[in-house]
Amino acid sequence: MAVTKTKQKNKELASLLTAASCALIGGLATNANAGNNSWDVDAAFLLYSETDSRVSAAEPVISATKNYDEETKLNIKIAADTLTGASPNGATPSDQIQTFTSPSGNGTYTAEANQQPLDDTFKDTRLALSANWSAPLSRDWAYGVGGYFSKEYDYQSLGVNGSLSRYFNQKNTTLTMGLNLSNDTLNPVGGVPTTLFQVPENTNNNEFSQRQDSDSKSLVDTVFGITQVINRKTIMQFNYGLSTSSGYLTDPYKIVSVIDDTAGANYGGNFQSNGRNLYLYENRPDSRLKQSLYWQTKYQLDNNDILDLSYRYMFDDWGINSHTIDAKYRFRFDKQYLEPQLRWYTQSKADFYHRYLNASGYTNNEFASADYRLGDLDTYTIGLKYGYQFADDTEFYTRVSLYHQESSGDQGYGKLTKQDLYPSLDAVILMIGYKF
Amino acid sequence: MIFIEEIVIQSSCNQGNHPTPRLYQESAFCYKVEFECMASNCSILIECETLHLVKEAAKSAIIEAWRIEHKFSRYQDSNTFTAIHSKPEQWQNLDHETTQLMIFANHAYHASAGLFDITSGILRRIWRFNGSDKLPSQASIDSLLPLVGWTKLGWELHRPDRLKMPTGMELDFGGIGKEYAVDKMLVYCCEIFAKTQAAILINCGGDLACNGRRLNGESWKVGIESIKDATSADHIIALSSGALATSGDSQRFLLKNGIRYSHVLNPTTGWPVSNAPRSVTVAAPSCINAGIISTLSLLQGAEAKGFLDSIEMPYWISN
Amino acid sequence: MQKIVSLFSLIALSMAIVGCSNTGVKPWERDILAQQEMNLISDPIESSLNDHIYFSKEASSGGQGFGGGGCGCN
Repeated sequence: MAVTKTKQKNKELASLLTAASCALIGGLATNANAGNNSWDVDAAFLLYSETDSRVSAAEPVISATKNYDEETKLNIKIAADTLTGASPNGATPSDQIQTFTSPSGNGTYTAEANQQPLDDTFKDTRLALSANWSAPLSRDWAYGVGGYFSKEYDYQSLGVNGSLSRYFNQKNTTLTMGLNLSNDTLNPVGGVPTTLFQVPENTNNNEFSQRQDSDSKSLVDTVFGITQVINRKTIMQFNYGLSTSSGYLTDPYKIVSVIDDTAGANYGGNFQSNGRNLYLYENRPDSRLKQSLYWQTKYQLDNNDILDLSYRYMFDDWGINSHTIDAKYRFRFDKQYLEPQLRWYTQSKADFYHRYLNASGYTNNEFASADYRLGDLDTYTIGLKYGYQFADDTEFYTRVSLYHQESSGDQGYGKLTKQDLYPSLDAVILMIGYKF
Repeated sequence: MIFIEEIVIQSSCNQGNHPTPRLYQESAFCYKVEFECMASNCSILIECETLHLVKEAAKSAIIEAWRIEHKFSRYQDSNTFTAIHSKPEQWQNLDHETTQLMIFANHAYHASAGLFDITSGILRRIWRFNGSDKLPSQASIDSLLPLVGWTKLGWELHRPDRLKMPTGMELDFGGIGKEYAVDKMLVYCCEIFAKTQAAILINCGGDLACNGRRLNGESWKVGIESIKDATSADHIIALSSGALATSGDSQRFLLKNGIRYSHVLNPTTGWPVSNAPRSVTVAAPSCINAGIISTLSLLQGAEAKGFLDSIEMPYWISN
Repeated sequence: MQKIVSLFSLIALSMAIVGCSNTGVKPWERDILAQQEMNLISDPIESSLNDHIYFSKEASSGGQGFGGGGCGCN
């Protein structure tokens, strides 16, 4: 009995001392961990500039993430961008000066002989806002929900998304399903033009008065992914994406030249209709089904450098196939890193892509677009990123990239063969950012 | 073990004039910093990928350890220890840290029924544990005993931030200072590795604390040196979390008429505890916790083993 | 409390020889993958700015996530 009593007393004594130690040291530990609940902010600025003073864009972004714990976080992002400059309107260059009706119908712009026709009325400012929340549901499940809104002068987009993840095999395998729904509204300058209709000279034309002010499109994207930890230094991901868009998918500002294919002096020149060059508003199908396969692997070498490789194959029912290879290698030094980046992209043209239409058969086309972004295209990006991590866990980073586009396709006939139908494009992309 | 560099610490943080700490690489991602503090060889072992964080963590931990040492050392001037003892019979305000240590000492005193008493340090003026047979006289012990006793201090738990020292009495934080420093060093290291994974083990002359398992999931293997043979280990302890502290000493004792007097003094009698184990190692959540339990077990003398069994904390005894 | 304890820091770096049969790591081997740089999308802002550019200049988008979108630039 006495022994049990002593034992009980000693146990109480020991737990009292453990509590006293905890009060002395534990209080310190809590202090040390406090402040983990703050916002992580990433502020960045992007400058995009095409050579030959075509499009240039500036885009500031601020992203703030609040980490409630390792898996629960809220992210809010605000981005603004301004675009200025001129972009190709789709028409072919010619040995004659070409005059185009501006999208509003209230003016004209011209393309010098043998020059690529560029629409210099192109100017826009965009504001985008998004919020995302992710959290665990249980030990094996996690979810994320988000929404975004963006607004520009002639376009607005509203979207919601959600994802569900299931962990297997001690979180070494993660299956994720994501769904994104968005609804976009276009209010083109001058209204929604009649597709495959001759571009009118000005707003006095009936075509203008018949136009609708706006149109819309909706998108449903789904992604199914598997992420697998391969070993202590390697992680891999496979995704399958299915994306459908429906509604107005045409670019209201893009036109197609009709070329004279009857033998004679104007063979290969612009076809005349109503006493002027015939340009048609482009027309795309009102639905598109895209599928993509994506593979990414990240590997940390023994010297701590990180290799990031990804490949994407995409194909759609417009006839476009594309391959993308992206490689990044991060040299890591004590507080700094240097990351060369390479990206190669190639796509095959859409079935309805035509650099120009022939006068003899243009009325037979249900769809047509001369937008070079739907043609055969190869692009290359070479970049270098540099980052410096300060002792207080903040990071400064900057990146310079060169972007090159090379288009190819049908070279035309007659006078058209003298024209450069597929000019290449070069752009410089500069990014600076600070994480704190 | 490859020597990498010295960790230079400004002299204002090194009041004890310790040698410059040295950083070594043990293996690919394992670094060790060796330094001196509180008359012990200390080391910080860190497994991680980022060397600059190792340096940063070691630096802040060592500065902290040296700060604690200086603050409570009786061998250094112009510190808190001197300030407390320079104003006897007057109420003085204590800083937050000293207040917390006083509260802890109060709990330890009451929990041990007066056996653990930080006012007992002055008995060491007459007890010199140098392996000899020179015992102090009972008269000299009796002359000091009135100056020993926690309850004689002007200090109350409900106003823990003020203190009145009776003339001649002395506080000795040496019994908890090292363990306290180990715990605080770990806190400082963990703070720096808050966002990076790292395995940390802090060792100050056998009092040690870790933040968890090693990166490969194994526990830390800690050897306790054999009393008889300094080159072999009596026990190998697998430590996967928390801390270890060892009390007892192979060198510090007196031997007279076949009786071995350990250096652990009973503050109520003024005499060393007899028949205590030569050394006790205890595992606990924090180093200061392990330290107080191992010290208390020695104070139980021959009952040490029974005491340790009853409190159900892992322990290792060497005789 | 002057007992000196020696440490056996037998750091044998476990060689991770991984075959197809045992892909994955134990929870405590996540030290490297836990680094922010080892996230599949380690720089979300940079990725979103890239997606935005490529979305407006090429016919493909998404793959990694939903990518680009919400923009009248295409």
